[in-house]
This record gives sequence, structure tokens and C-alpha cells, in this order.
Amino acid sequence: MRRDRSVGRLLTRAFGVLVGLIVLSGAAETTALIMQHRVVEELSTRVQPLELANSDLHSVLADAQRSLRGYLLTGDGQLLDTYYIAHSDYGLTSGKLRELARGEDDAAVGRQLRHADAWWTLAERQREAPPRSDAAAGYVSEGKELFQQFAAENGQFADALAARGSDLQERSSRLSVVTTAVVIVLTGLAALTAALAAAHIAGRITRPLARVVSVIDRRRSGELQLLADADAGPTEIRAVAQAVNEMAAKGDQIRRAEQDVARLRGEVRQLGYRIRGHLKVEDAVKEAVQGLAEIIGADHVLVRMAPGQTDVPPLASLHDEHVGGVLKELADCGVDWLGHGDVWATDDPSPAGDIHPPEAERRAWAAVGDGPVLTVAVSGGDERLGALTLIRDSGRPGWTAIDIRLVESVAADLGRGVHHARLYEREQHLVARLQELDTAKTDFMSTVSHELRTPLTSIAGYVELLLDAEAGELDPPQRKMLEVIARNTRRLRELIEDMLMLSKIESGTFRTSRAPLDLAVVAEQAMAAIAPAAAKTGVDLCTDVRTPLQLSADAEQLDRVLMNLLSNAVKFTPAGGTVTLAARREGDEVLIAVTDTGIGIPAGEQHSLFARFFRATNAIHRAIPGTGLGLAIVRTIVDNHGGHIEVRSAAGEGTTVTIRLPAQ
Amino acid sequence: MGGTAVTVVLVADDDADIRDLVAFKLEQAGLEVVAVEDGQAAVEQARARRPALAVLDVSMPGLSGIDVCRMLRADPATSGMLIIMLTARVQEQDVEGGFSAGADDYVTKPFSPRELVSRIQALLSRARA
Repeated sequence: MRRDRSVGRLLTRAFGVLVGLIVLSGAAETTALIMQHRVVEELSTRVQPLELANSDLHSVLADAQRSLRGYLLTGDGQLLDTYYIAHSDYGLTSGKLRELARGEDDAAVGRQLRHADAWWTLAERQREAPPRSDAAAGYVSEGKELFQQFAAENGQFADALAARGSDLQERSSRLSVVTTAVVIVLTGLAALTAALAAAHIAGRITRPLARVVSVIDRRRSGELQLLADADAGPTEIRAVAQAVNEMAAKGDQIRRAEQDVARLRGEVRQLGYRIRGHLKVEDAVKEAVQGLAEIIGADHVLVRMAPGQTDVPPLASLHDEHVGGVLKELADCGVDWLGHGDVWATDDPSPAGDIHPPEAERRAWAAVGDGPVLTVAVSGGDERLGALTLIRDSGRPGWTAIDIRLVESVAADLGRGVHHARLYEREQHLVARLQELDTAKTDFMSTVSHELRTPLTSIAGYVELLLDAEAGELDPPQRKMLEVIARNTRRLRELIEDMLMLSKIESGTFRTSRAPLDLAVVAEQAMAAIAPAAAKTGVDLCTDVRTPLQLSADAEQLDRVLMNLLSNAVKFTPAGGTVTLAARREGDEVLIAVTDTGIGIPAGEQHSLFARFFRATNAIHRAIPGTGLGLAIVRTIVDNHGGHIEVRSAAGEGTTVTIRLPAQ
Repeated sequence: MGGTAVTVVLVADDDADIRDLVAFKLEQAGLEVVAVEDGQAAVEQARARRPALAVLDVSMPGLSGIDVCRMLRADPATSGMLIIMLTARVQEQDVEGGFSAGADDYVTKPFSPRELVSRIQALLSRARA
């Protein structure tokens, strides 16, 4: 663990090195410049002027020597003028030379000037010698020797100066090369340092930063267990990772809290469903009491029902087993101090309204343990049904706003549940009562029809005896009157039969037991049975049955259907008319049609045909007997067979009843 | 052993009008009728008179027609007797009850006396054959 791996420190160091290299490079350049300047100054202010002055001195002396020698050899005075000029120049030139010469040059210049002065001393003596004399000649050779000594010294100095000049120039150029090399090296080092620092920093920042960013991204996409590595990478990145982890921890904490609340909400919702699913008030209350104790974490849960609302006694949670013990006193307290939707909680974070629990209630709470109490009114519909009280043991945390909301939700569900259960219970009572009534009605119908049969048997039997002349011969008016009695007895009997059948249909004891049968046989029997009645009223019968007609049906009921339709048709058809029974297979169905050329059914009344006791107005007007129950029974039988029935009729033209039954 | 050629028929019905009606019609048909008004009397008369046939009303106070039928069938002395049940009910269970008790035929009220006599005669002639 290297604790000092800070990018900032690294950057500072890298910049320090760079600045150092740049300063070094500048210093080298400056030093080189200064040194070169010195060389140039040395050259221009000393060496070159010295060379010039030295050369001038040589020229002056050479001019003086040449003109003096010429004068001495020729006596030309003009040459002597030249000599004089040179002599005066010598003063200037030698002074200048002496002025320029310093230090190391002093000796050389002094030697040269001593030689020059010696020559001049001799020259002054020469000048006074007569020209072209032997003395003069002697002086010339003597002067020549002195001059040569001077010239030698002069040349030697000039050489030394030249050597110094070239030496200086060489040093200057060498310095320049060295400086350039040093600057290049330093610049290269700086570039290298910058590049290395950049690469290193990039490496130290980019990768760890990318890792932190990736952690943030993955957390965002749900990998909540991931944490950023706060022990790797530079200090700054570690700080960022640390901050990310702290934020994540905070976020996790919030999320966990939210999840807890969501879980509680879900459980409370489920509890609500269960409460509302109960059909008994007591079960709904028990469910609420047990569920609340578990979900909300209450040590005691008590549900008190307002008197007069239900006969359910106060119910407490399993912890308390029953309302004896510590809850006894509280269970006996009334809850009328709580209004519709009221909530009262110990240290309620946001108390609503002005609710004052009575002293008795407060004493009862203290008896339970004086812990946090939460009481919520339970209402169903517009009625106050009671109250839900949760108590935690003393020292346990108080009720949070979330607890209160959840308990309110349960109270609302309990209210609805109790309300519905009460409605259901009332409905159950009503249904039971209706069933009793229905059974009584069925029994009554059965009894009545049974009791009617016995006297009817006597009436019909004795009328038959009379008509059979068993009690003596009858005269025609007597016979006619007895026949009226017989006919009406038959009607009464039919009515009783139909009513009994309807009562069976309504009580659900009318059963259809299907078995394979041939419709052609049933149709033939029905036609045979109706034939006497048709013959009596002068109606022609016609059959159009196309076999095979295999069906799965209840033979007795199918016979009843055919008999009903045929007797209707015969009954409503005047003499000379025709009744046709047609039957054939059509696809998956067997079609049965009974057609008559009778009085028909008025269009406005056709829709009522299958209603019980309905009778068409024209039938009533013509005093054609009937109960109005036949078609209702027919329709029930057809429905039981999975078929359907249809009536087409025109008043005065006739009627066709068509039945379609599923073929076998 | 009366040795008489007259066939005896037992008629049991608590309704006197119906009892008289049936008795009258059967006597007209030349049969000898023993009429009783309850099940207990029916059993006693059946044992005493050994009728060839009994017409029993199903719903009678005390022993019902079905009870009587069952008792007659259980007694070897009367087990061969022909029995016709008269019922005011058309419920299947009554009819089935009658048959399972051993009745030979049943007639529902209201019935035609003519039809009842012809059924009785049919049963008697079949038994003689």
C-alpha cells in the first residue's frame, strides 16, 4: 500500500523537473552568450587594435628607416621630410600601443619600443651625419641591424597577437558547439520528461478512473453488490472511489428502506385481499388481527366492534390468545370517541384533527404496558364499525408515519371486508329464506295438484258412469250438459298436469334422460294418437317424414313435444284444414316442423308465445280451450335437448312451428 | 274355499267417493268387491278373503298402498295376488316405489273407471291363462 501515490505530487515533480531543465537550458545559453561576448570583446577591443597598432608601428618605423636610408644615400631632403613625419607619427603610434598593451603584452611592447627607441636614437645621429658619407654608410648598416632587431620583435608580437586572435575564434566556435549540444540534450530531456509524465499520469488516472466509472455504470444497471476499489490507484482516484462507495452505501440504505416499505405494503395489500376474501365477519376480523401482529410488529392487536354493528366480540391477536389478561380492560372500553376515519397514535408525527381518548381508554392502555398505542377507526360504507388498536411493549419504537399509513390501509380493508361479509351474511339469510319459500311453493304446488286430483277423479269417474248410462239412459239435453262437465274436467286435468310439470321445471327436478331413438317411430305414434281428435274436427293429417332420423333424446318428452304441437295445430285449425308433420335431417340437425292452415297468431303476440299462461287473443275470442302452459314446457324440453324452436305465423293463414335438435 | 265362480276384488281407498265409484263399476262388470278404507283393513281383508286382485290407493292414512303391497307380497298366503296401485302422483319415484314393492300395474288419478276395469280384466284373464 503506497499511501503517497498522488497524481498531484507526481505532476508537481514532473513540472519541477521540466522547469529545472528549461532553466538549465536558459542558463547554458546565457553563459555561452556571455562567454562569446567576452571573446568578441577581447578580439575587437584588444587583439585587433593591438595588431593594428603593431602594424602601424612597423610601417612608421619602416617608413622612417627607408626615408632616412634614402636620405643618407641620396641626401634628398624630401626624404628627410618623410622621416620627420614618421618620427612624429611614431610618438602617436607608440603611445597608442603602450596604452593598448596591458599585462602580458607590456613586456613584449616594452621590448619592441626599447628596440624602436634605440633605433630612433641612432636615427637621430644618422640624420645629423652628412649624407653619402662613410659615417652615414656606417650608420646605415648599424641602423639596419637595430631595425632588424625591432622588426624581429615586432613580427614576433604580431605573430603572438595573430595566434591569440585565432585561438579566441576557435574557443568561440567550440563554445557555440558545446552550448548547442547542451541545449539539445536539455530540450530532449525535457521532452522525454513531459512525455513520460504524461504517459504515467494518463496510466495512473485513466484506468482507475475508468474502473470507477464502470462500477458506477454497473451499479446503475443493477449490480448493486459492486463497490469501487478504494485502495488502488492514485490518492485522488481513491478519494473519488471512496466518495462513490459512500454514495452507493447511502443509496443502498435508502433502497433497502424503500424495499422494506414496499415489502410491507405488499404484505399489507395481500392481507387486505385475504381480509376481504372472508365471508364471515369474525373470520375477517381474525385475519386482520393476526396479519397486523405479524406484519406491523405489534405486541398486542385488538379489534373492537361498535355495539349494535355486529355480534362479533372484541378479538385480539394470537399473542394475547384471547381478550382476557392485559387486554381485558381495553376490550371493555367503547370506541365512540373515534370518528369516521380517525387515527390516534402515541407521539403521532403528524396528528390529524382534535381527538381525545377518554380517561378510561388511557387507563386501559397503561394497563397493557404503557407502550406506543395506535388506534384507527374501522368504517364500512358510511357506518362506523369499530376500531383497530395496536400496542407495542414499553420501550419499543413508536409508530412511524409509514406504520400509521399501513394500519390505516388494513383498517380500510377490514371495514370493507366486514361490510361485505355483513352484506353477504344478510344475503345468505335472504337466499335461505327464498329457498325455503321456493321449496314451500313447490311442495304447495305438488300438494295442491295432488289434492285436486282426488276430487277430480270422482267428478270425471261419475260423469263417465252417467255418460255410459250406467245409472240409466240419458235424454239428449242431459247428455249434452254432462259432456260439458266432462270436457271441463279434462281441461282442469290438463291444467293440473301442466302446472305440475312447470313446478318440476322450476324446482329443477325436471330431468331429461337421453337415449338413442328413431324420431320416425315417435312421430308415427304421435300422429296415430292425434288422429281421432283430427277426424272428429274434420282436419286432414299429412306426414312428410324422411328417414333416417336417429336422435339422442328423451322419448317421453319428445312425445310430449310432438303431442303438444299436433294438438295445438288440430285445435286451432277449422274443419277442412290440414296439419302437416314434416321431419328430415339437415346437416348436423334434425328438423321437425308442424304446419297448420289454422287461425294463426297475431304478429304482435308471437313474441309472448312461450310465456307461461299466455294465450293468443284470437284463441280466447273463439273460446278455444287451453292452459297457455304447453309451449313453455315444449321450449324447456327443446332447450334441455340443446335445440331451438321457432314459430312463423300469419293470422288467418296458419302457423309453422319448427324445432331443430342436434342429430346423433 | 267358497267354491264360487265369482272373482273377489279388494278395493282400498280412503276416499269414499272413489271407493264407491270403483266398487260400483267392478260390480257392474260382474266382480265381487270387498271395499276397505285403510291399509290395515286391506291387509286383514286380503288375508281373510283371499281376493284374486287388490286395487290399492297409494296415499292412505296409516299403512300406505305401497306398505300394504309389500306386506301382501311378503306373506306366502297372499304373495300371488294381483295388485294394481292407484296414485295421485306422477312423480317417478312413486311409480318406481309401487313397482319395486311388487305391484303388477298402476293407474294415475284421475283415471277413467272404464279404463281401470279393462286393465283389471286384462290382468285377471292373463292370470287365468
